Amino acid sequence: MTPIRSGAELEQARAAARQKSQAHEVEILVCAGTGCLAHGSAKVADAIRQEMKQAGLGGDVRYFTKTTGCHGFCEKGPLVVVQPAGTFYVKVKPIDAAAIVERTVKKGEVIDKLLYRDPNTKKRVASYHDIDFYAKQQRLALRNIGRIDPADLDDALSVGAYGALAKVLASMTAEQVIAEVEQSGLRGRGGGGFPTGRKWRTCRRVNVTPRYVICNSDEGDPGAFMDRSVDEGDPHSVLEGMLICAYAVDAHQGFIYVRDEYPLAIKHLRLAIDQARQAGLLGQNILGSGFDFDVEISRGGGAFVCGESSALMKSVAGEVGEPRAKYVHSVAKGLYDHPTVLNNVETFACVPWIFAHGAAAFAAIGTKKSPGTKVFSLVGKVKNTGLVEVPMGVSLREVIFGVGGGILDDRPYKAVQTGGPSGGCLPAAMLDEPVDFDSLTEKGSMMGSGGMIVMDDRTCMVDVARYFLKFLSDESCGKCLPCREGVKQLLVILQDICDGHGKPGDIERIEVLGSVVSKASLCGLGKSAPNPVLSTVRFFRDEYEAHIRDHKCPAGVCRKLTRFDISAEKCTGCMVCARACPTQAIVGEKKQAHTISQDKCTQCGACRTVCKFDAVLTA
Amino acid sequence: MITFWINGKKVEGHPGEMVLAVAQRHGFEIPAHCHHGGVEPFGSCRLCVVEITHKDWKGWKGQVTSCLYPIEEGLEVTTESAELLQVRKVLADLLLARCPDAPEVQKLAAQYGIAKSSYSEHPDRPLCTLCTLCVRACEAIGASALGTAGRGPARKVGTPFDLPPEACVGCGTCARICPTHAIDCTEDERVRTIWKREFSFVRCDVCGRPTLTEAYRALLSERSGLSVEYFKRCDQCKRDEQAKAFSQIVR
Amino acid sequence: MKRYIVTPSRCTACRSCELACAFRHGSMGLPGKTRIRAYMIAEGRHMPLTCLQCEEAACVKVCPVGALVRNEQTGAVDVLDAKCIGCEACMAACPFGAMAMLAKPDSGPTAYKCDLCGGDPACVLFCPTKALQYVEPPRRTQSPR
Repeated sequence: MTPIRSGAELEQARAAARQKSQAHEVEILVCAGTGCLAHGSAKVADAIRQEMKQAGLGGDVRYFTKTTGCHGFCEKGPLVVVQPAGTFYVKVKPIDAAAIVERTVKKGEVIDKLLYRDPNTKKRVASYHDIDFYAKQQRLALRNIGRIDPADLDDALSVGAYGALAKVLASMTAEQVIAEVEQSGLRGRGGGGFPTGRKWRTCRRVNVTPRYVICNSDEGDPGAFMDRSVDEGDPHSVLEGMLICAYAVDAHQGFIYVRDEYPLAIKHLRLAIDQARQAGLLGQNILGSGFDFDVEISRGGGAFVCGESSALMKSVAGEVGEPRAKYVHSVAKGLYDHPTVLNNVETFACVPWIFAHGAAAFAAIGTKKSPGTKVFSLVGKVKNTGLVEVPMGVSLREVIFGVGGGILDDRPYKAVQTGGPSGGCLPAAMLDEPVDFDSLTEKGSMMGSGGMIVMDDRTCMVDVARYFLKFLSDESCGKCLPCREGVKQLLVILQDICDGHGKPGDIERIEVLGSVVSKASLCGLGKSAPNPVLSTVRFFRDEYEAHIRDHKCPAGVCRKLTRFDISAEKCTGCMVCARACPTQAIVGEKKQAHTISQDKCTQCGACRTVCKFDAVLTA
Repeated sequence: MITFWINGKKVEGHPGEMVLAVAQRHGFEIPAHCHHGGVEPFGSCRLCVVEITHKDWKGWKGQVTSCLYPIEEGLEVTTESAELLQVRKVLADLLLARCPDAPEVQKLAAQYGIAKSSYSEHPDRPLCTLCTLCVRACEAIGASALGTAGRGPARKVGTPFDLPPEACVGCGTCARICPTHAIDCTEDERVRTIWKREFSFVRCDVCGRPTLTEAYRALLSERSGLSVEYFKRCDQCKRDEQAKAFSQIVR
Repeated sequence: MKRYIVTPSRCTACRSCELACAFRHGSMGLPGKTRIRAYMIAEGRHMPLTCLQCEEAACVKVCPVGALVRNEQTGAVDVLDAKCIGCEACMAACPFGAMAMLAKPDSGPTAYKCDLCGGDPACVLFCPTKALQYVEPPRRTQSPR
């Protein structure tokens, strides 16, 4: 890649890249995000390329195969999309490659059995654009992911990468840049929701140099993979966002703090940084503007607490990741005690879009106080699992039942856990609440960084609280007394309740202890740690009382408080449960009612999960 | 000088000072287990929480640890309230669950009416409260032989890899500053034993009794620029010799 | 600024100074520890010994936390008790043995020394022979007798 030394040269490079891709009449996009890779999509891509070669199309520029980042529909992978028709194939295997090349690529035919089947209409859907999961989304931060090859700078250029940067460097002052971000109303996507423009402005005002820009890609919430997808699928959007920020606050060194458990994200970010450096888009005198900026990757060491900004900065500096009281903010004293802007990956990914389309366009999406879109990882007992991006203000119902397609197996909806370990669980009564920075917080949860775990009637809310407390107790840095000892003691109480040792007064003990941990903890981890337990006590108190008073788990999850039996009336004798049982505890002949021998049963619930007749009952 | 208010009383402090230091100077009693005026504040015990507000904050109130909150003009601090009492009480209760056998922690908890913790006691019943005063004092004297290891409930204070620390000079400051006497430091005529190391003493050049450890003398001399000659005698013999020397001069 | 002046020839080793000092630094009616000692070196030879408030004090130099500071009003080197971490460096460094450590009930031991009683030394008040004085120095320097 020859260095690009001006805005004009950038547009030339972009035109060349577009010309190259315009020569493609058919493009085969194979998803190579971590989810699909785990399902074997690399082999699928190889098989397709092999088949293309054998069909004599290997060297033909009209037919182009590329691997892309995550499309977001992770449970259906490996995913293959054939453009321009938008033909969308799910669960593709290497042996399907021959048919794909022969029928779809060469003849434009659609292979029915590879199509996605809508779980509600039961009909196969041929095209990307007609699938509810995608049709109901508005992809802004994720705009390029699934379209471009993240390892190819040219592909990024062809969809507009660095265009916003060129405009900023050529025609805007730092003050104008900050004003634009302020006008867009962009708020931090990492969970805090702090106005981004205000953060940049405050940092710039601190009269100390050098200043730093850090991108937080630690993403510690269990089940969250929004940042991972952006890092893997469109790393240049992150770099571009950081560059614009650095220009605004007059910083010349940036860091991307990536959790070490994201090897593909690290690989793609490294590649993007190298390519950007070679192209002169990082380094000195960027695009001939006289502005210098470079980025380094800093890898995490496996600590959730290092997602907290002050702990993260210590970790970048090579010290143990422990937070500090933020009575003096990190925009004033951050990395090495210097002014530092820390923003989340998704926040940076939105920035180039804002400058390409204008602040007003961004502010027009979403709600007045929460403009723009938000990426959610929609997981759990939902039919369409994956990464979804919707305008702020959309209701929980629209996300879970609209985009998500509703509850798996059409079981009754019970709750949604939002905001990761810092958030809470909201019941069915709150389904029409809008998802934005403020509404969910008022109701006792929070939007957080975008995790959404959908739960049905077979989820025990007490167990959920216990799960998050265990996670947070393990991840607590241990520096402050209320978090280190208090979260541990909350866990002890919850574990006792789940084991059948709950005592009257436990709920009150939880409320008092939770309130103190929340007030007295040093950092956000401790302050928000009681949220899962306090929100479940608030909305699902009857479940707690069943555990404590009756020693029963109504959802049939807590093993010591559950007993499974098979209903003789409903059982059809199909033997599916007997085969699923890990301890061979189910006896019964074919077509005869089965029974569970309680001395062998471990209450794992597998039989209930596989039974299609709802014949397994909990007592 | 910065003027602000504590419990309705007007007080003054220097720029850069923390609320706790000024409060203590004016006689306000705020519990502060992990605090010591000679080392950097850490904010780990959280007992020193106070409520703050300001007329410019539009009614917004906060709870902060006074050991780390810098004073500002017009700040209004409240050191006692029902909510603060509840916070401190639960914190003392949690600390007692961790260190049920430490008399100093028992005394602290007793101040809040707690004789036995209502939480589950730590199986090891440690004396160490993880206040890290020893770590910070060791840093202050210039040895930095102590640190924290582990995360969360597994956190502990000690030496790198639990091995006898090379950087330790056997001064014993950590043992003396520890609020619960959790650090073992013993000595006899010959050596001082601490952190699994034995340190030999400098012996008084007059009476031969042990004074400070040789390693500590080396550290002090290097850090202060004072020659080792300053450290060769016990303080009793220093006085005796000085009295004799002065009386000679006067003659 | 007043200076603390010792005239050893007047000292009778009556130890009133030690008693006065102990009580001035005690609390609630109980005596503290004296910071001045009257030595009997030989018959007729006595020496009151206390901190010399050195201009280039070794204790100030060696203190790691800045707990020893010059009091501009009294001229003494004062121990800031709240800052003292009990490291005993000052005690080891003082060439005159003027520093000692005080055990405390609710915290670790801290250093203590003569502080000229904040400007009104008790020992001077009680010395019957004026062997101890706290006065403005005379304009002409006099060699001690």
